[in-house]
Amino acid sequence: MKSSWLEKNTFHYSEFNNLNRLVEEKQRKNLKISLCLPTLNEEKTIAKEILIMKSELMTRYPLLDEIVVIDSGSTDKTRDIASAFGADVYEAAEILPHLETFKGKGENLWKALYIAQGDIIVYLDTDIKNIHHRFAYGLLGPLLLFDHVKYVKAFYDRPISIGKSKIRPTGGGRVTELVIRPLFSLFFPELTQILQPLSGEYAGVRELFEKIPFPIGYGVETSIILDIYEKWGLDVIAQVDLDKRIHRNQDTRALGKMAFAILQTFIRRKRKLGLVDFREDLFDEMIQYNLVKNQYMPDIYKIEGHERPPIIEVPEYREKFKR
Amino acid sequence: MDDHLDKLHGFVDTITSMKETIITNIVLIGQIPAPTFKEKKRIGVFMERLAEFQVDECTTDGYRNPIGIIKGTSEKKPPIFVVAHLDTIFSKDIDHYYTIKENSITGAGIMDNSVGVGVLLSLPEILRKLNLRFESDIVLAGVIQSLGKGNLRGIRHLLKTWATPIRGAVCIEATELGRLSYYTDGMIRCEVECNISSDNGWEHKFKPNAILILNEVINQILKLRLPQRPRSRVIIGKTSGGFKHGVIAYNATLGFEIQSNSDKMVKSIFNNIKDVVEGIGHEHEVDLKLKTLSNIHAARLNFAHPLVKSTVAVMKKLDLVPISEPSESELSIFLARKIPAVTLGITRGENYHQKNATVEIEPISKGIAQIIGVLMAIDSGGCDEEQLA
Repeated sequence: MKSSWLEKNTFHYSEFNNLNRLVEEKQRKNLKISLCLPTLNEEKTIAKEILIMKSELMTRYPLLDEIVVIDSGSTDKTRDIASAFGADVYEAAEILPHLETFKGKGENLWKALYIAQGDIIVYLDTDIKNIHHRFAYGLLGPLLLFDHVKYVKAFYDRPISIGKSKIRPTGGGRVTELVIRPLFSLFFPELTQILQPLSGEYAGVRELFEKIPFPIGYGVETSIILDIYEKWGLDVIAQVDLDKRIHRNQDTRALGKMAFAILQTFIRRKRKLGLVDFREDLFDEMIQYNLVKNQYMPDIYKIEGHERPPIIEVPEYREKFKR
Repeated sequence: MDDHLDKLHGFVDTITSMKETIITNIVLIGQIPAPTFKEKKRIGVFMERLAEFQVDECTTDGYRNPIGIIKGTSEKKPPIFVVAHLDTIFSKDIDHYYTIKENSITGAGIMDNSVGVGVLLSLPEILRKLNLRFESDIVLAGVIQSLGKGNLRGIRHLLKTWATPIRGAVCIEATELGRLSYYTDGMIRCEVECNISSDNGWEHKFKPNAILILNEVINQILKLRLPQRPRSRVIIGKTSGGFKHGVIAYNATLGFEIQSNSDKMVKSIFNNIKDVVEGIGHEHEVDLKLKTLSNIHAARLNFAHPLVKSTVAVMKKLDLVPISEPSESELSIFLARKIPAVTLGITRGENYHQKNATVEIEPISKGIAQIIGVLMAIDSGGCDEEQLA
C-alpha cells in the first residue's frame, strides 16, 4: 500500500493560523461557512464553544457566517445557554417535521444541512473541554486553500512525523484501534492512512454532504468516509492535526454500543457495494450481560441502524437550495 | 476629570458588547496551567494573544515577564503600567478547563488570576474600540513568580530594570469589584520545618513527634502579645506533616505570615518567633528551622493622594462602593519604589483558591471601565509630581 496520500494530504493546524489569509480566500471565492454543533445535554461545554468561535472566527475574523446548534431534545439547559450566547438553536425534531422522527447525532448533522446556509459546513462535537478556535480554522484551512480538497477530517494528540528518524506513535481511541482500523486494514487498506476516522470534527463542502446518506447514530463518521471514498476517491479528503482534544471518557459498555453501530454501518456499506454477501439479515440488538443478584441478566439495546437518504433527494431541500 | 467620568457609563456598554472576546481571553489563558516557577507555556500564549491584538510592542524582559506596549502620543510622558500576575497556586495536574454558564465562569485559578490576565490581554482591543489614545505608553505586564515562594520576583525584577520613570500603575485582581487597595502592610512569610531523625539513636528516650513540636510552636506564637497599634497580626496559614495515623510524625511544616503596618513591628515579632523556635528546638533536641520565604515593606498612599481620590471618583461614578484593604501583591513593589499605584478588582466571585472558584460575568464590564477610568485619570496628569507618604 502506498502512503502518498498521507504525505500529501496531512496537515498541522498551525499551517492555517494566518486567519486573514483564510478570510481573503473565503471572500475571493464568495463562500458562506456554517459551523454546526450537534448537542444532547451539553450545558457544561456548549457556552464555551460558541463563545470562543464567535469571538475569534466571527467578530475578530469573519470566517464563519453562522453558528447553528441542532439539539436532540436536551433535558438540561443546553438550548437556553446556546441561545443566550448567540447561536441559532433548533430542535432536530422540529426540522422537516413531516418526516419520521429519529434521535441521534447523524440525524442532527443531516438536518443541519437543511438549516445551515453555508457552502462549507464545519461539524464539531460539543463535549470538547479544551475547545479552541483552531478546531474550526484548522479544518477550514485545506478547504479554502486547496481546490482539490472537499472534506477534511481532524486527528489529535499524536502529531505524526514523516521524517527519517522521527517516528512517533499514531492512533485513535479504543474503538478506532480495535474495530475500525482492523476493518479498514482488511477491506480498504488505503483508508488506514486516516489516523482518526472516528473523530467528531470534520468539515466539507455542501455538494458532497448533500449527496451522501447519513446514518442516524454512531455510524455516521464511518459512513461519511466510506461514501466519500467510494464516490470521489481519497484525494478529495485531507486530515489535520488539531493537537490535543480533551473530552469525556466513555466506559467500555458505551464503546461496545458504538462499535456495534459502526460494524453495522460498515457491513451494510460492504453489502451495498457487493463486496460481501450474507445468507441472513443481521440482527439489530446489542446484548450485554450484567450480574444482578447473582444472576446474569441481558441488557438489550436496539440499534436499528436507520439511515437518512442523501438530503438532495428531499424535495424541501431541493426547493430551498435551488437544486 | 469630569469629562472622563461622564464617559464611563458609555464605556460599560461598549465593553459589554465585547463580552465574547474578553471571556475568550480569560478562558484561553486561564486553561493553561501556570504554577509559580512553571509559567513558560502561559507566557507563550500571553505573547501570542498580545501579538494577535496588535499591540505596538510585544516582548519579554530579562526575567521572562511578558510585556505589551501600547504607544502613547507623547514621547515625554513616562509610561503607565497595568499589571496582573500570571502564576497560580494550582499544579499542572489539576483540571484547568473552565465551565461557562449564562452568567458565570468556573474553574481552578479563575479568581487568582485568570480574569485579571484575560482583561489585561483584552485591553488593547477595548481601547481601540473605545477610540482612546493616551499620552503615556500603556505597559501591559503579565508578571511571573508572584505567589508564595515566588516572592513577587517577577515584578521586582521588572521595576528594578525598567529604565525610565513610571507615571503610575494599576494592578488587576479578579475580585472583588469595589476593592480599592492603596496601601500594603509590612509582611514576612515564614516556614518552620521540624525534622526528627528516624534512626533509633541514643539521644531520645522517647521519640518526639514533629507535629506536637509544631503545636508547641503555635502555642508559643499565640502567647505573644501583639499590639493593636501599630496594627499587627500573625496568620497561621498552612501546615503539613506525618505519614499515617498510627505512626509518630518525623517531619512537619508550618507556614505563617507576620503582618503589620509597621515594618519595625514585623521585625520585632519575627525576632520573638525566632527565639521561640530556637528555644523549642533546643529543649526538645530536634531539628527545628525557621525559614523566611518572602517579605515586603509597609508602604502606602494617603487617602488624599490624587490617584486614590481619582479612583474613588471613578468608582462612585460607576455606582461602586470603594472598600479599602491592604494588599500584599504587586502593589507593594510599586509603592516601595515610590510609584503611585492601586490594586482594583474586576468582578464578584466565590470559592476563592478552590478548584470550583466561580466568577460572575455581568460585572466584568464595569470592572474594566473602572480600570480605564483610572488610567485616564493618571494620563491626565492628576497623579504627577506627587511624593508618596
